Amino acid sequence: MSRIIVTTSGKGGVGKTTVTANLGMALARLGKQVALVDADFGLRNLDLLLGLENRIVYTAIEVFAGECRLEQALVKDKRMPNLALLPAAQNRTKEAVSPEQMTELVSALVKTYDYVVIDSPAGIELGFKNAIAPAKEALIVTTPEISAVRDADRVVGLLEAQGIKRINLIVNRLRPAMVQLNDMMSVQDVQEILAIPLIGVIPEDERVIVSTNRGEPLVLSENPSLAGTAFDNIARRLEGQTVEFLALNAPPDNIFSRIRKLLWTKII
Amino acid sequence: MTSDSALPEAISAFTPATEEVKVNLQVRFKSEADRLLLILPTEAEMPPSADNWSEIWQQMKQRLNAGDRFWQPHTQVELLAADRLLDGRQLQQIADALGEVLLQMQRVRTSRRQTAVAAATAGYCVEQQAILTTLTTASVAATSPLNDPLYLQMTIRSGVEIRHSGTVVVLGDINPGGIIVANGDILVWGRLRGVAHAGASGNAKCLIMALQMEPTQLRIARYVARAPANSPEEYYPEVAYVTPDGIRLTKAADFSKLSSQFLSQS
Repeated sequence: MSRIIVTTSGKGGVGKTTVTANLGMALARLGKQVALVDADFGLRNLDLLLGLENRIVYTAIEVFAGECRLEQALVKDKRMPNLALLPAAQNRTKEAVSPEQMTELVSALVKTYDYVVIDSPAGIELGFKNAIAPAKEALIVTTPEISAVRDADRVVGLLEAQGIKRINLIVNRLRPAMVQLNDMMSVQDVQEILAIPLIGVIPEDERVIVSTNRGEPLVLSENPSLAGTAFDNIARRLEGQTVEFLALNAPPDNIFSRIRKLLWTKII
Repeated sequence: MTSDSALPEAISAFTPATEEVKVNLQVRFKSEADRLLLILPTEAEMPPSADNWSEIWQQMKQRLNAGDRFWQPHTQVELLAADRLLDGRQLQQIADALGEVLLQMQRVRTSRRQTAVAAATAGYCVEQQAILTTLTTASVAATSPLNDPLYLQMTIRSGVEIRHSGTVVVLGDINPGGIIVANGDILVWGRLRGVAHAGASGNAKCLIMALQMEPTQLRIARYVARAPANSPEEYYPEVAYVTPDGIRLTKAADFSKLSSQFLSQS
């Protein structure tokens, strides 16, 4: 039974596309057949993050118009042969597609792929409706900011009304040091409002910017980063494995705090 | 500091935008004898368009999900469509949604010929009414009694607005951006972080109760109050009520003592 997952957030710029690209790559590395669908018609980015921009010949629009076969539009990733991208058209807008077309398209994909991950555009208009129409489950991406959480809350409500019951939360760009100083919402604060199960926490990482610009997802890099490991863990949790959450404590222990900790544990 | 921890800046000169809660703007469920009535807004209240249909659809799904513990399997549902134009596909969507919680749509009451034809084609019992009857007109009357309490088990998320011409009980949180408007009391078994408007038709004796009171705004009848700027150290169940000085909050445990004097005074 293949899974159809939409990554969405409501607010823009919180990392939907980054999550989709890295998660797709991580799932593919686990040996799954993965198709990534860019539903952001007119503002496509997913191809850039995957470094596949220069290999796009056909897009979803040509598939809908019957100008090419679905297999022709799918861009296979050279680094990871079981990962494919269905690019969106850049020269069209969201109105060029309907929810029915998306559903039809994805139902064709599930025949060959274990995972179909749809990258939703920001907002809750037609583009969003197109993206969620075929989905059976959802990943809500949010940053620990009040505006992102508010929008995510609205989106969860819309997904529930759509009948998508399996909704998991990814908190992106967390800065543990700021949380400790009480300058940033903690993961618990976010969860308290959204009341959906947490599937991953990704710390803020400068290397995400580097990987985006290079078109090389973090999970592929040689020396693993904390953020890359976090993506890997999300993929494994999606697969049903129990993986401990990363310990994201900012300040490294100095000798005093270590002694204090030791003393405390002895007392208790 | 046991009681009467005042909310600052109670703005008393507030005129609600609408005097009467237009409950008919929303999809309603109502029990009647051995069946359940599903009442859709009339076309005058919500003009027909694709957007409004998806709005109706969302409201219906929300209500169905929020009360699904209480639906008895295989209860018969009668759809009161009033003058709303429904096609076969929309009727099928409604029947499917009801079917998901094991409710059966059996009868359709409508005043539109096309809707009646569509319903009959789909195999439902159809009752075609000449004009709008008492159900819709009576509830709009100024002196209408309060409706049955509405019980919801759900999180009222940002963008969700619940309107009800009676008391509303929510088992769950009201998140910032969520709104509840009721003609009666509002009881929140959870955190109240959004906006609650009790006694919306003008009854200032109505109350707002919450296990954890952190509202964006509280409104009772014509009164408005904001929550204190800095949140308290610990939360306990609280009751909001109207005094001559505006809306006040008190610990729920102390409210019963207070309420005898408060009720005799007003």
